[in-house]
Order: sequence, then C-alpha cells, then structure tokens
Amino acid sequence: MVLATMLKSGVSLEFYVILATILFTIGVLGVLIRKNAIIILMCVELMLNAVNLLMVAFSTYHGTGDAQVFVFFIMVVAAAEATVGLSILVLLYRNRKTVDVGMFNKLKG
Amino acid sequence: MLALIILFLTALVTLFVGFAKKPLLTLSLSVLGLLGTGAALICQWYHPSDFLSSYEGVNMDAFAILFSLVAIIFTILIILSGFGQFKSRLDHTADYIGLLIFSLFGAIIMVSFQDMFMFFLGLEILSIPIYVMAGAKKDDPLSSESSLKYFITGAFATGILLFGIAWLYGATGTFKIYEIQQFFMEAEQISSLAYVGLLFILSAFLFKIGAAPFHFWSPDVYDGAPAPVTGFMAAVVKLGAFGAFIKLFTIAFSELYDFWMPALTFLAILTMFVGNLSAIRQVRFKRLLAYSSIAHVGYSLITMVVLTDNSALNLWYYLFSYGFATIALITVQMIVNDREDRIEAFKGLGRANPFVGFVAVVALLALAGVPPLMGFFGKFLIFADAIAQNPALIAVALLNSGIGIFYYLRTVIVILQKPGVDNEIEQSEFKTTPLQLIVLGICVLAMLFGGGLLMIH
Repeated sequence: MVLATMLKSGVSLEFYVILATILFTIGVLGVLIRKNAIIILMCVELMLNAVNLLMVAFSTYHGTGDAQVFVFFIMVVAAAEATVGLSILVLLYRNRKTVDVGMFNKLKG
Repeated sequence: MLALIILFLTALVTLFVGFAKKPLLTLSLSVLGLLGTGAALICQWYHPSDFLSSYEGVNMDAFAILFSLVAIIFTILIILSGFGQFKSRLDHTADYIGLLIFSLFGAIIMVSFQDMFMFFLGLEILSIPIYVMAGAKKDDPLSSESSLKYFITGAFATGILLFGIAWLYGATGTFKIYEIQQFFMEAEQISSLAYVGLLFILSAFLFKIGAAPFHFWSPDVYDGAPAPVTGFMAAVVKLGAFGAFIKLFTIAFSELYDFWMPALTFLAILTMFVGNLSAIRQVRFKRLLAYSSIAHVGYSLITMVVLTDNSALNLWYYLFSYGFATIALITVQMIVNDREDRIEAFKGLGRANPFVGFVAVVALLALAGVPPLMGFFGKFLIFADAIAQNPALIAVALLNSGIGIFYYLRTVIVILQKPGVDNEIEQSEFKTTPLQLIVLGICVLAMLFGGGLLMIH
C-alpha cells in the first residue's frame, strides 16, 4: 500500500531537499574532520553533487530548465577542480611523502 | 566582449609562444595583449554597444570597465615585476604568465556578470589558475603546502557558494541578478529559502575575500606562494572578489539590506581587529602583508555596510590605492629576497639602495593612510561617506588605523636603520632588475599623485 501511494504521488520536493542537505552536511563534515587529503577531495565532490541534486529538484519544481544547465557547468568545473587538486596532491606527496593534512603544518604563525 | 576575446587570445598566444623559449618575446606579447585589452575596454566606454553586446550573461557597464581596467594595470605590473623569477625556469615562463592572464580573465568576468552562470564560471576561472600558481615553486614544500591549503579552502568555499545559489534559485526561480532583484521587490513575503541562500553565498564571499572569521587560510597561502603570486592574490583576486561581492549584494540582494547589513557590520569590525592585532606580532614580511590585507578587507567592507550612491566608486578607489602599495611592497620583497622572508632583512635597505628604500617607505605609509598619499584619500573617502550613517563604526575603524600605523612605522624604521653590525643576519645584496625599477617608479608615482584621480571622481 505504502509503495503504491509513493508511486502514484511521486516523490515530493521536500525529500529531495532533505536528501541533498544531508549529503551536503556529510561533505562539509568530511572536509572539516577527515585528515586524509584524498578523502577531503572526495568530500568536496560530494558537496558539489549534493548541489547538483538540489538544482535538478528545484528545476523540476519551478518547471524551468536553467538549473539543469547549471548542473552541467558544475560538473565541468568539478572535473577541472579535481584535476588540479589531484595534481597538487601528487606534487605535495613528492615533496613530503604523505597525504595527511595534519602533517602540512610548516606554514603557521 | 571584444576585450574578453582579446584577453583570451592573449593568454592562448602566450602559452604557445612559450615553446620558442624566448622569455622576452613572451613578455612583450603578453603585455601588448593586455594593453590591447585595456584599449578595447576604453573604446567600450565611449561606444557602449559592440557586436556581441546582445549576449545577456556579461555586460561591460561603467562599473565593470573601471574594475577591469584596474585589474589589467595590476596584472601588467605584477608580470613585469615577477619576470625575473618567471625567467629563471625557462620552460615554464609562458605557463606562469599565461595562467596569470587566464586568472585575470576570470576577474573581469567576475565584475561584469549578469547572471549566476557567469558569476560562478568567473569565480572558478579566477581561482583555478591561482591554485596552480600558488604551487609554482615545484620543489619547495612550503609552496606546495600553500597551494593545497588554498585549493581546499577554495573548493570548500565554491561548494558553499553553489549550495547558496541552489537555495536562492529554489526561492526565486531565476539565475539573473536583475530578475532576482525584481522578485524580491514584488514578493509579499520572502521565503526563508532565500535567507538560507543569502547566508551561504555571504560566507562563500567572506572565504574568497579573506574576511574574519574565514581568514585563516590567507596568511599561510600568502606566505608560501611565490612572491608575484602573492601580489596577484592581494591585488587582482581581491579586486575581482570584491567587485562581484558589491555587485551581487547591491543588485540582487538590495531588498534584503536590513537582513545582511548588521551581519556585515559585525564582520567588518571583527576583520579589522583580527587583521591589525595579528599583524603586530609578525616577523615575516609576507605574513605581515597578509594580515594587513585582512585589515584592509575590513575597511573595504565599510563601503558595503553603508550603502550610498558612491559606495562602488569608493571601494574601487580604495582597492586601487591598496593594490599599488601592495605591488610595490611585493616588488621590494623580491628585491630583498631573503630566504626566510624576515622583516629584519630589510635593515639597511634605505642606505644600500635609496630609491627602493624610498618606495618601500612610501608604500608602507600609503597602507597606513598617511596624507597626502593615495591610501589616505582611499580611507578618507570611505570614512567620510560613512560617518553620518554609522559614526560608531568609523570610530572603530579610526582606532584600527591607529593600531595599523604602529606596525607599518616599525617596518619603516627597520628600513631606515643602518645595516646591522651583528653577523647573525647576513646582508642581502638588494639586486634589482630594470623592469622592477619601472614597476616601482609607476607605483610610487601613483601613490604620490593618485589623489589627483579624485578630480575625476
């Protein structure tokens, strides 16, 4: 019965919003808490993908296509950012032999 | 639009000319291209419509042209003064210059956007080359570290900004800034979604301009990055970010002024205090510059707190004066070229090389806001504009200027001292290149006579 009502009514906007917010929060917490730089990069991607989900949900809700186009821009930029981020990480690994952000503490004061 | 196309072609040509391994050719082509872009912008000022002006995403209005021209001037100065360093790695000279020009491209989009698409793309085009450039000293762990720190905070801020844009879209159903303004004007009740979006966008901006409490990355990044890149971040990136900030908040969010004004007032005060109080105990020169830049972000934020008709122009003039002083100081820092970048290494500069010493003193005094230098007029315009509306804020700002004078004057005294007799600090040679002298000359002329711009103002 429950399944039938869900299929009939479609998933409402609120669920998308809540899901996207949860995903975004996981991403933010990951960036703030995790020590491994690669995991931090993954968490940034998670934040961006949560935004993508939110954009598409709102786009359907408003009945306009703008935000769906925006999602493509975000994907492109996310790819560019991941490329740059991973190269910086490789560079840092060559210099310091670690990807633990806790070890990158030479600059302070 | 023509200007943007010329600029893009300049960056591409610069990258490809790099294969010839002739640094002077690369330099002259890129500077020529930048001058051409400036000329195209000035043409646009007199003939506002050109063949691509039907495109709605980017609009080169007076605001955009003024900010872009300044960004171009700063980029030329930084390329000239950093050329000595770029030249040292022959196979990468063109990459350094090309990436800086691509970043400038992003800065120009950031001040001329009309919808969130272009704003977001401009921000990324501005940031991504700088992530790379911060790590340009490939075998220096400090440079790589600053690059990673900048990248992570930048990417994090981008995520937050996008989340805010998504909420704002949810509330208004549009990405165009004038339609958003229209929506807020007509809406009887503004949904809370819009406020959530506004807060996220605001915090992302605070990250980008380096305002407290989101400033923690900037001293580390300024410290580790190569000196020309530090200058670029302080002058051009800040200009682009502030341009977008004031544009977005005075157009799209103008109806929500009562909501964001108190928050921004508090942040401006916090930023000034954090910047000035932390700058006092710095012993490294680029960190001092970083904290002083945080303090200057605080003063600049006053223009946004007190919105008048002159706010954008005041902000423009302030960033203009700040950029010249910072570029002059970064150039001096490159001339001193101390391995550990200590302020103590500036000892004896005034006697060993009077011209460089003079420029450094003028630049420091300009940052401190001593009349009749350009920095004084910048501060004066902002404070005079705001004092009627918010005298308490201006009192705090004046107090902070007082704190600022302390550490700027301390550095001035170090520069004017006799060369140290103690052998603990070995004396640097203060080697200059002709290009750096030209840059210093332009900067000092601007700082001494920049007050004349007020006539046009």
